[in-house]
Amino acid sequence: MGGATLFSVSDTLASVLLNGLGSIFPQPIHGWLTNPDLILGLAVLIFGAILLAASMINTIVLIWWERKLLGRFMDRRGAMHVGYAGLLQNFADGLKLFRKNTFRPRESDSLGFYAGPVAYMVTSLIIFGILPISSGWNSGALPLSLLLALAIFSFAPLFIFVSAWSSNNKYSLMGGMRSAAQMIAYEVPLLLAVVAVVVVSGSFDLATIVQEQQNYWFWGPLFLALVVFVAGMLAEMERIPFDLPEAEAELVEGWNTEYGGMLFAFFMLADYLRALVGSILVVLLFLGGWTMPGWVPSAATSFPLAGIVWFMVKTYAVFGLFVWIRASLPRVRTDQLLRIGWNRMIPLSLASVFLAAALVLVRCLPVFGCLPSPGV
Amino acid sequence: MTDEATATEKPSDNPILFVAKPMLTAARQFARSLVRPSTVVYPFERLEDPAFRKEVAVAPGKPIGVGAIWDNYRGVHALNINTCISCNLCAFSCPDLCIDMVNVPGGDPKHPKKCPQIDYGKCSYCGFCSDACPEGCLTMTTRYELSTPKRAEMIYSPTRLFEIYRTKLPMNPIRLERPENEDSILLEPPLCIGCNACSRDCPTNCITMVDVTKPEFKPGEKQPRRIWKEPVINDSDCVRCGTCISVCPKECLFWGTRK
Amino acid sequence: MSEMWLNMGPQHPMTHGLWNLRVKIDGEMILDCDPEMGYLHRGIEKISEDRHYNEVITLMDRCCYVAGLAWEHLYILAAEQALHVTPPERADYIRAMCDEFQRIASHLMWYAAFVQDLGLMSPFLYGMRDRDLVLDLFQSFTGARMTYEYQRVGGVRSDLPAGFTDRARKVLDWLDERYVEYDRLCLGSTIFRERCDDLGKLTARDCIATGVTGPMLRSAGLKRDLRKDRPYSIYKQLDFDVAVADAADVTARYLVRMEEMRQSSRMLRQILDWLDHHPGPVLADRLPRWLGAPYAPQGREGYLLKRNYPKGLGFSSVEEPHGEAQAYVVNEGGEHPYRVKFRSPVFANISAARHYLVGYHVADIPPIMGSVDVCVGEVDR
Repeated sequence: MGGATLFSVSDTLASVLLNGLGSIFPQPIHGWLTNPDLILGLAVLIFGAILLAASMINTIVLIWWERKLLGRFMDRRGAMHVGYAGLLQNFADGLKLFRKNTFRPRESDSLGFYAGPVAYMVTSLIIFGILPISSGWNSGALPLSLLLALAIFSFAPLFIFVSAWSSNNKYSLMGGMRSAAQMIAYEVPLLLAVVAVVVVSGSFDLATIVQEQQNYWFWGPLFLALVVFVAGMLAEMERIPFDLPEAEAELVEGWNTEYGGMLFAFFMLADYLRALVGSILVVLLFLGGWTMPGWVPSAATSFPLAGIVWFMVKTYAVFGLFVWIRASLPRVRTDQLLRIGWNRMIPLSLASVFLAAALVLVRCLPVFGCLPSPGV
Repeated sequence: MTDEATATEKPSDNPILFVAKPMLTAARQFARSLVRPSTVVYPFERLEDPAFRKEVAVAPGKPIGVGAIWDNYRGVHALNINTCISCNLCAFSCPDLCIDMVNVPGGDPKHPKKCPQIDYGKCSYCGFCSDACPEGCLTMTTRYELSTPKRAEMIYSPTRLFEIYRTKLPMNPIRLERPENEDSILLEPPLCIGCNACSRDCPTNCITMVDVTKPEFKPGEKQPRRIWKEPVINDSDCVRCGTCISVCPKECLFWGTRK
Repeated sequence: MSEMWLNMGPQHPMTHGLWNLRVKIDGEMILDCDPEMGYLHRGIEKISEDRHYNEVITLMDRCCYVAGLAWEHLYILAAEQALHVTPPERADYIRAMCDEFQRIASHLMWYAAFVQDLGLMSPFLYGMRDRDLVLDLFQSFTGARMTYEYQRVGGVRSDLPAGFTDRARKVLDWLDERYVEYDRLCLGSTIFRERCDDLGKLTARDCIATGVTGPMLRSAGLKRDLRKDRPYSIYKQLDFDVAVADAADVTARYLVRMEEMRQSSRMLRQILDWLDHHPGPVLADRLPRWLGAPYAPQGREGYLLKRNYPKGLGFSSVEEPHGEAQAYVVNEGGEHPYRVKFRSPVFANISAARHYLVGYHVADIPPIMGSVDVCVGEVDR
């Protein structure tokens, strides 16, 4: 899958910009400006800016997508009036939150109170620099990108706990404790499920993992791992049925009870950023990433960014599954959650690792090529 | 008949595959509401709109729009000033004391006509006033949108209520029959001084003053200072508003059963 | 973590109203609890002493805002006894119909709130949607959706509109399909079972000791239903069963309420059939002359106080959707009741919180209190 990618676009843009700029200058400046390192650096910056904007817009659209889907599940319509089908509703909501006063309880700890949401937001954003969205994702070409992404992903409980603790509120504190306990408990099965993928693909590099799924997607051979991974992701994203840190019924709003205005918007956005990351990881690890289906005409395949579009379609579909789960299930209790995590999920994930190893040993993986993998 | 129905779980209720049942149920609802969700897009679609009501008539899979008789909704009042007789019954019957009888512009300045003015900040929409109205001139309409940024605008003057009447909104069709064994207003003749106050203030003009024969007084006997007339109340026209009782200076009128 | 007291309320998503549940927790465990009521006290009993007999009805709808017609019925029964009035039979049937529809509406409201507490999002909307159908029916003959002011001393305000019974049957058919769906969404889910089984246990002995009534009592295996045990109105003529479960936990309360809705549908079909074939007056002929029903009482200025009217006492107890409600009306011969007193079932049900909350987790408070079905309007009155 060659073709243009987001990074190559920004690379081209940077070189055009700097070459054009350099051509009007005399030699020393021209040589300095058209230095490939500088072009690369500028390309990374442009790429980062595009990525930031894209991830934020995607997050907000993701919220819209959830609201619309959830509306239909609930026999109602969801956002309708701001923009086409309510597409701009979340922008309006964000603008409203942005204009609001930022306040802090008198007894709270100001450093933790303000730093918590910001750090939570920033760490959630960093992951987007690592996740490859299509082929040729040079900026994130790290051999251990999967591990790095998951490592940054699991920073969150720390910041949640810091902001919950410094809010000086009993509900926040309980929510923070629950959140920390839950995320740490589900970190283990999540990583073990990922190990199964690594065993089959033989790489920690996300791009390589996607390359390995050219012939068959991993959801067939690694179905067990997929189930564990999705359940773990639900817990990491704090969504129903595992949303007890924010359990509205008993904890008001959990660890962000005391937050309002833009700080609350940070939490909200970061939550959905993490939801987006979770959906993207499911697509990358199990659903073939950006590899275009065979039945798509080559004209469409060669279209720039076609891989990204296909990738995002899959991501939104996976998120739709999360919404479906949210619409139909109640939340579990803390002790049940931990019991499920330690007693069910870890054995299951271990089993999935062994299964993957066995599959690799007996070399029967290509059998799964017959399973429906619409992307191949 | 006395069989004990124990509300036990049926085996068919048990979960299948942990959460498959609820998820499939939600998905079925999703498919149903993709066609048309049950919500009414309120400012654009209105239940009281006959066209909309027809569109969403009750059918399997279409839960909305059962409230076909919207007409007896108890909303904002409509007042027909022309038929109002200023009997005060609506104000009497109001449990929230939100009805004031105020002067209506026009008419005799000495004896101005009084009609109800309603404070919707207090009104509880119980409908006692329209039930009490003997002439059917104070009714409740289907209008329910009366939010306003100013509290003073919640007070609807008679003129404003008359404007609502003239919009010909569907009115509450329920008119109650008067009970047959109502109390009448009786007179204690020895107290009456024939002052005409009751007859003058009666909103239905059902009181006529008739002459009473002046008894023979012995010379020197103290004669009562009175006009030799007495009110006669026409029960079929009387609306039992009690105005005559409250204006009677001698308290000689009272409620009772006419023999 | 050391022990601490946590104020859940008066503004808290769990409370469904305005009351405060103070819980003493150690980590997530509940060690003690202390329900505090009174935030919504409006003095309805006192205000009633300043209202004509019919005007008190407006307060009844505000007393319990999810079961207004049931409370109207409760008050009317007591007031009629105090005033020596007998309503026509058709009015009695209409009132019983109101009661049962109100039971369905109230239980649907309970269902919506209860599953919302558990975190189930869509069934909340389903419950509210289907309750709306019942409210639409109410609106078609009372003229309002929540504050009905429909029943009068000696009958009801107006007869049912044409075609009402058919519409009501359609709604019942629709609801019968929905009950199955509700069960699938709740009972068919392993998570729901794990959350609710063996939760909030309150044995029959504790129920009797604390005065807990209604579905909570029946879920403890005690077959006690005023409609059977002390039939008021026309419940003697109806064929229905009392929903009883044994487990005394949250699931059992769910099952009892679901079964009650089904039994209400069954009763309603009988009542609607009767109403179809027995037209007649809906207001008594011989009312106290001065009551002037259906008109509002005549005059506010106390003319009637001078006269001696027959005195009387009225007592009624009604199986309200939340439990056994009782009313006591003293008629001292004036135009206002001398004293009105209500017994709220939810007050007793909440007050027993210590018996069914202690020993469970903080996360269990919403489902347990949800299964109690709190309506603060009637608790504080």
